[in-house]
Amino acid sequence: MSEILKSEQSASSVKHLELEATPSPAYLDSDELILNMGPQHPSTHGVLRVILKLDGEKVMGTECVIGYLHRGVEKIAEHRTYAMFNPYVDRMDYVAAVSNGLGYCEAVEKLLNIEAPPRAQHIRVILAELNRLASHMLWLGTHALDIGAITPLFYTFRDREEILKIFEKYCGARLTTHAFRIGGCLYETYEGFEDECRNFVKFVRPKIDEYETLLTTNRIWVERTKGVGYISGDDCKAMGVTGPVLRASGVKWDIRKAQPYSGYQNFDFDIPVGTNGDTYDRYLVRIAEMRQSLRIIEQAVEKLPEGPVMAKVPKVVKPAVGEVYHGIESPKGELGYFIVSDGSTQPYRIRVRPPSFVNLQALDMMVRGALVADVVAVIGTIDIVLGEVDR
Amino acid sequence: MTMKKLLRKVLLLDLLQGLSLTFRYQDPKEIYTEQYPLQRPEVAERYRGAPRLNVNPDTNETLCIACDLCALACPEHLIVVTSERNEKTRRKELTTFTYDLSRCMFCGLCEDACPTDALELTQDFELANYTREGAIWDRQTLEQGPQPTVYKK
Amino acid sequence: MPQWLQSVVDYVTKSNNTPGWYADPVASAIWALIYIILIFTGVSIAVIAMNWLERKILAHMQVRLGPMRVGPHGLLQPIADALKLLIKEDIMPDQADKVVFWLAPVTIVITAFTVYIVIPFGPTHAVTDMNIGLLFMLGVSSIGVLGIIMAGWASNSHYPLMGSLRSSAQMVSYEIAMGMAVVSAVLMTSFKGGGNFFRQIYGTGGASVGTLSMIGIVRAQEAQQTWFLFKFFPLGLIAFFIFAVAMVAETNRAPFDLPEAESELVAGFHTEYSGFRWSLFFLAEYAAMIAVSSIAVTLWLGGWMRPFASLHGPNVEIPNYWSGGAIDLAFALVPALTFFVLALFAFIGTVRMPKHRAFRVQTIGLAGFALALGFIGLVLLEPHVRDRVQDIFWFSLKVAVFMYMYIWYRGTFPRYRFDQLMHLGWKFMIPTGIAVLILTAALGLGS
Ligand code: SF4
Ligand code: SF4
Repeated sequence: MSEILKSEQSASSVKHLELEATPSPAYLDSDELILNMGPQHPSTHGVLRVILKLDGEKVMGTECVIGYLHRGVEKIAEHRTYAMFNPYVDRMDYVAAVSNGLGYCEAVEKLLNIEAPPRAQHIRVILAELNRLASHMLWLGTHALDIGAITPLFYTFRDREEILKIFEKYCGARLTTHAFRIGGCLYETYEGFEDECRNFVKFVRPKIDEYETLLTTNRIWVERTKGVGYISGDDCKAMGVTGPVLRASGVKWDIRKAQPYSGYQNFDFDIPVGTNGDTYDRYLVRIAEMRQSLRIIEQAVEKLPEGPVMAKVPKVVKPAVGEVYHGIESPKGELGYFIVSDGSTQPYRIRVRPPSFVNLQALDMMVRGALVADVVAVIGTIDIVLGEVDR
Repeated sequence: MTMKKLLRKVLLLDLLQGLSLTFRYQDPKEIYTEQYPLQRPEVAERYRGAPRLNVNPDTNETLCIACDLCALACPEHLIVVTSERNEKTRRKELTTFTYDLSRCMFCGLCEDACPTDALELTQDFELANYTREGAIWDRQTLEQGPQPTVYKK
Repeated sequence: MPQWLQSVVDYVTKSNNTPGWYADPVASAIWALIYIILIFTGVSIAVIAMNWLERKILAHMQVRLGPMRVGPHGLLQPIADALKLLIKEDIMPDQADKVVFWLAPVTIVITAFTVYIVIPFGPTHAVTDMNIGLLFMLGVSSIGVLGIIMAGWASNSHYPLMGSLRSSAQMVSYEIAMGMAVVSAVLMTSFKGGGNFFRQIYGTGGASVGTLSMIGIVRAQEAQQTWFLFKFFPLGLIAFFIFAVAMVAETNRAPFDLPEAESELVAGFHTEYSGFRWSLFFLAEYAAMIAVSSIAVTLWLGGWMRPFASLHGPNVEIPNYWSGGAIDLAFALVPALTFFVLALFAFIGTVRMPKHRAFRVQTIGLAGFALALGFIGLVLLEPHVRDRVQDIFWFSLKVAVFMYMYIWYRGTFPRYRFDQLMHLGWKFMIPTGIAVLILTAALGLGS
């Protein structure tokens, strides 16, 4: 058990002793203060509990306590057939359900040695990129809210709504979409799908500029984010931190380019990279990523080929004995599925590598020596979803 | 720092830009809120909402052939189908059909599995209930669809 | 009416119309009582209105509708909330320091309302005219921070404690900048014309003198025929700007709402408060906002003076109604017109109400509200009312602009961090304040 937890216990025993006596000022007169942030706190993004050791307002150390949202998703997988488990992955990173489904379906396809037909791949790319936008929008809104700007939240949610409408029309659900099936997509696109995507791209470009007007140059925003939560590229690599956090530290690593999947090699897009590795750069990287996603959507809609949306998949999915790892670039970083098959209809073991969980490790390194207000900013900038951290 | 940047800073242009943006948004035309009970949202055709057990519109007989595929497909195992063999026709006939809505995640796998399009997830989204038991739908409720309380004055 | 009563009324009304009436103890005591009652109700109504407006304006900035259900367009929402707060359970934490916990909100409310004693809503509309009015006001309003510290301390909980410590540091640093700006405005009262005026009124012979009396400060702006905002351009403007920033920090509002930063400290110093006690904090916060805005209006925006007060226009004569400058007449009609426009808005809202049974009562209510506003407008046309209420109207309008700015900031800006707030206060605001003060004094030597 870490040092902090121990000191928390001693602090609580002090409190216990004093329960009978009237609280004296001496109780508060300690050099270090143990502050419990969460699990019920407005800006821990769910049920994360961070134990902060404070000296005044300065953070001396942190300890994350997770598991409040643990549902045993990986264990559930061992009792479900491959197809049945598909809807559960939506519930891990629920703001990027499409990406989760994409990763899972592709992993099982890899295990089965089949590939989704080109049309299905394009549809998958479109939806996954729309989902990346939705996830980044939600991140932007809540991150800004944590730092005190309450308005961007409503603008981003309004625009995210357009994405959710496309999801709803395509697959019948807004959040936990269950959009893809093993071997392709269950649904054909609906009438007007292409136009709606094109219109959405046109609609949302100026909106992203609007978010930037409110934040990018705003001096308060810049002061609050520049130099806050610094992490170097090497530290990121050492801790396995991926996604925008890694890229903002200057490491050009994006699985969509490095190990292309689902036909990402056919699209022309850039990987935005930051230099400073601070909260402001992570913000800029994500904003730039939103613009790149729009580019990908545009291209994918233009190139959308004709053909079937479902590959030939056996009625009962029963992969041969073996194991497979498949990682994709989810909005938050590398989302990997490691599947072990024992030859039956149910996976022997599924292990998910959730980006939020891995990235959350970096919290302590990023906030040591910073102020309480920065903890909130950094939790926001890592972009965690507790459903994925705890699974 | 260039002159332009300095001027921007001194004249607070960065702040004023933000202020003008929020000011412009006060136009009532920009309001995005829906006033729910008055304005009902348009739900997409493929929406996966309340389940319904379809009946043949002419004969009012259920389309369900009690094959139990939906129950098998459901990851949550929340559908229970019981049937009885009709001695005359030698066919299975549906007796009861329960569907525990409180555990359903509206994934649509049951709907996909159904060979006769008997089970369908519809566009109804008002599933609120006062009791847990109320969330367990029997065959009759499933055939009639949800009956949300209509509030009168 | 018995004759003695008549004579009292005459005495009192007459005294209220002559400058310098505060010297008369009897009349001023009676008027003080009347104004205290008026101000107390007025401020309470303003807080309720502000509550509704804040939600609505913020909502519209954020593409939302805001309250819509309680009453037409949510007009009754603040009242519903007030009722809810009153009947809610009032929780006193077990470990709290009971007496201080009880005392804290009371302290804050009392200070917030005491400040109104010296605010001049018009040349004769004030509870009293203290010769140290401004000092009194700044002094009393800083007692408010004591209440915040008491609240944070008494709660005996981490978040409130941190919130209250933040607020004390914040208050200390911004009070200084605020003081510098205020002193430069006070200096301006002694220049050109202003001094002579005070010699007439207060008989302080000798060289030109300034004043700390709130009424005197506006009188000085009248005498110098300019708002201090435009005096020694851009010095007055900068001083005003410093004050405008410091006043947001003083009242703990966004972007300086660190003591109650909800995303960091849950609710800051009032985390442990609930129900009625919490509503006292709420009331005090808004009352304090109105109070500091009033200082700003008095010091820099000419208090009760209407815009272009030095222009009178050609003489016009309307029997039994008006005689004087045409521009004066035009401005005198503005209060009534404002209420007519508001009534028109309410009326349009009535017409646009959904035609549904469930909305019948609300529609009738809104129509009634429109009628009431229109009626107030009509009353304001009446010559006696018009002449007496005009000053209050202009004063309130200027304060209202500040209130809007408060909401506007909140809807636009992120929140400063604690050390950045200190940085801004000590490294920018205070030096600038001192510089403005010195420059004002230097420029004043010439006049
Ligand atoms: S929608 Fe999914 S969870 Fe619900 S009954 Fe059908 S298969 Fe089961
Ligand atoms: S799958 Fe369809 S036909 Fe078969 S039992 Fe279920 S509802 Fe009835």
